[in-house]
Amino acid sequence: MSETSPKAEAAKLLPFLALGERADLQAAAAQHVLALTGSGPGRTLLAGQTALLRALVELAVAPPPAPARDAARALVNLAADPGLHKPLLAAEPRLPVRLLGCALDPQWPWAEEAAAVLANLSREPVPCAALIEALAAAEPGESGLERLVRALCTPGYNARAPLHYLGPVLSNLSQRPATRAFLLDRNRCVVQRLLPLTQYPDSSVRRGGVVGTLRNCCFEHRHHEWLLGPEVDVLPFLLLPLAGPEDFSEEEMERLPVDLQYLPPDKQREPDADIRKMLIETIMLLTATAPGRKQVRDQGAYLILRELHSWEPEPDVRVTCEKLIQSAASRTCWRCRCLRRLSGSCSSRITRSGSSVSGSSRSWSWAQSHKQRELYPREAPEACQHFWAHFSSQSVQASQTRPACCPLL
Amino acid sequence: MEQQEPGATLDDGMDSFLEKFQSQPYRGGFHESQWEEEFEKIPLFMKNSPSEIDPLENPDLACLQSIIFDEERSPEDQARTYKDEGNDYFKEKDYKKAVISYTEGLKKKCADPDLNAVLYTNRAAAQYYLGNFRSSLNDVTAARKLKPCHLKAIIRGASCHLELKNYVEAVNWCDEGLQIDATEKKLLDLRAKADKLKRTEQRDVRKAKLKEKKQQDQNEALLQAIKARNIRLVAEAAGEDEDSASEGLSELVLYGLSSENPCGARLGVDDQGRLSWPVLFLYPEYAQSDLVSAFHEDSRFIDHLMVMFGETPSWDLEQKYCPDNLEVYFEDEDRAELYCVPPSSTLLQVLQHPRYFVKALTPTFLVCVGSSGFCRNYLRGKKVHQVK
Repeated sequence: MSETSPKAEAAKLLPFLALGERADLQAAAAQHVLALTGSGPGRTLLAGQTALLRALVELAVAPPPAPARDAARALVNLAADPGLHKPLLAAEPRLPVRLLGCALDPQWPWAEEAAAVLANLSREPVPCAALIEALAAAEPGESGLERLVRALCTPGYNARAPLHYLGPVLSNLSQRPATRAFLLDRNRCVVQRLLPLTQYPDSSVRRGGVVGTLRNCCFEHRHHEWLLGPEVDVLPFLLLPLAGPEDFSEEEMERLPVDLQYLPPDKQREPDADIRKMLIETIMLLTATAPGRKQVRDQGAYLILRELHSWEPEPDVRVTCEKLIQSAASRTCWRCRCLRRLSGSCSSRITRSGSSVSGSSRSWSWAQSHKQRELYPREAPEACQHFWAHFSSQSVQASQTRPACCPLL
Repeated sequence: MEQQEPGATLDDGMDSFLEKFQSQPYRGGFHESQWEEEFEKIPLFMKNSPSEIDPLENPDLACLQSIIFDEERSPEDQARTYKDEGNDYFKEKDYKKAVISYTEGLKKKCADPDLNAVLYTNRAAAQYYLGNFRSSLNDVTAARKLKPCHLKAIIRGASCHLELKNYVEAVNWCDEGLQIDATEKKLLDLRAKADKLKRTEQRDVRKAKLKEKKQQDQNEALLQAIKARNIRLVAEAAGEDEDSASEGLSELVLYGLSSENPCGARLGVDDQGRLSWPVLFLYPEYAQSDLVSAFHEDSRFIDHLMVMFGETPSWDLEQKYCPDNLEVYFEDEDRAELYCVPPSSTLLQVLQHPRYFVKALTPTFLVCVGSSGFCRNYLRGKKVHQVK
């Protein structure tokens, strides 16, 4: 029996993936490719197959009866690997544009998968820039970003796809100043529409994406006053997921913002620890300026954080909460106090963990591993958090028909 | 002026016209005394137009009006005229007349959808200032049907929803408007306002719910306390016997707990879990009564009587109602029997008596002077028991 190389085997699939081929053959070939993308070696193999990648992209955007869903899922797994971004974009330079069209098409049934591919792609700077370009070149009359925000904020925008992954896409895009400028435009109503989504019950992906976006926006110090002011009023929306069914006294209750008063006894806190951490970090960013600190203090954030601290089960979130409480309760920012302490040769109470954020055992981690210091840049707010959307790559046997990418929520 | 040959003939005509006045006085002038009123009547010089045009009083004005509102003009022209008229009334803040004008314009049913949309929107504005927010909303909805992108209609509609406290709808309309013009300042302001009011309203609902729940819990606790003491309650309505369904009774009791009797006294509980009842003392001899608003269940009758009768009351004509003389009874209404209560007993002891039924959560006792003739008469023929 002659030995055929894996590359040759893979190349054999190519004819069956062509558009216009018999639908059942296309479907089988797509499933095979999908299974391949489930493993590292499989993906590496596919990386070299430019023609195959191009055919896959064509299938992913093709109308039924083409196996667009499986093709899109294969792309999701491929895009999860940063090493594959270059081959993907080389195979099809218009990949971001075409996927964007699918993701924002109210009628496209696999818009969620398209959005997931974009979420993975936009992690890296080169595809992110390509995506921003694609958004800028949208039809006249409505900017691409506006369409994206609208698709994210309008319930039922797409009757057949939930579009949760547009959250992470936006979060990744908000690394760029241009996106932040659009989101924080005072003459428009953009960031305000995102705020209620911090409480979106049906998807932690969407919630996480929105909170990540807000956190990146809060790097813009000069917008803090506006963000904390009545036109946006961002703080209650950040505190609400952190608040539980606490029974405050009348006096304490009146100090809180309206949204946090008299919460019912069945109020749940944000279940995802990483999102809780991001929320606390966002509030911390808002305390970077003196007026911001005052505002955060005056709106009773301390009460909520105090209760959160006594409830919080995750140690690293608790530490972050402590830092914020110290910052919110004091008049100077924690950095200055820390420096003063060090210079005064007192032991610093602030734990400086140089190690990365402990990764949860879950298949995706929201926050990139980051040293604490880098969250609070002294200079202009250019350093933004990257957004990682990791999909589990379970090795799948070729016979399995279930797709290998992580099941969407 | 008929067309004559220009030049000399005009001058001639003028000359002969003027020469007339050398012999005759000019009759068409104003009267000296009332020239101002007559001045006002000439349409060209009018400062304010009369609200109703009487053809006899003001023939010139009536004539002009009939030209403007001539039925022979096209519907579009007529509608436009009505629109302008309405706008004029609107500027003068005469919103009722403005509505009428716009309505007339709409009645013409002209074929121009833009004009009709404007008529609807303007009428909506007038209705808004009259406070008829629902009518205004109907009008802007009609306007939007004709012209979906009419921003003024959307702004007006959002304002109406805001006034009607439909905050969610107001935000939705603002969002729709912002899709047409993302930077329209009025919509941004309206949206922020509506959102804030919506969140405040939600807070108020939560607050009320919590308060109600607290109240219910308190009432439940009181009911439990009463039950634990084995105190029998009876409903106030006649015909309701004590064996009525427990839910019915406890409902009545809870109702009684949440309402207050006319003097504002309620069953209360202190920090140690002891109850205080509002107690009514009746004096059948003189048809008088006293209400003790908070009779602690562990305090004795005699203590209260000492305070109440420290000075003899004004209605005590014979000055005999002193704490030492008084006898306290309660009545068992079912059996029409009286029970004499020793004044040294506490309220709780009496309330727990198997034949004592608390009516309307207000224990009632009869007081009279034991040795008096009235008392003997009152008690005659009735079975009297002693409470130990």
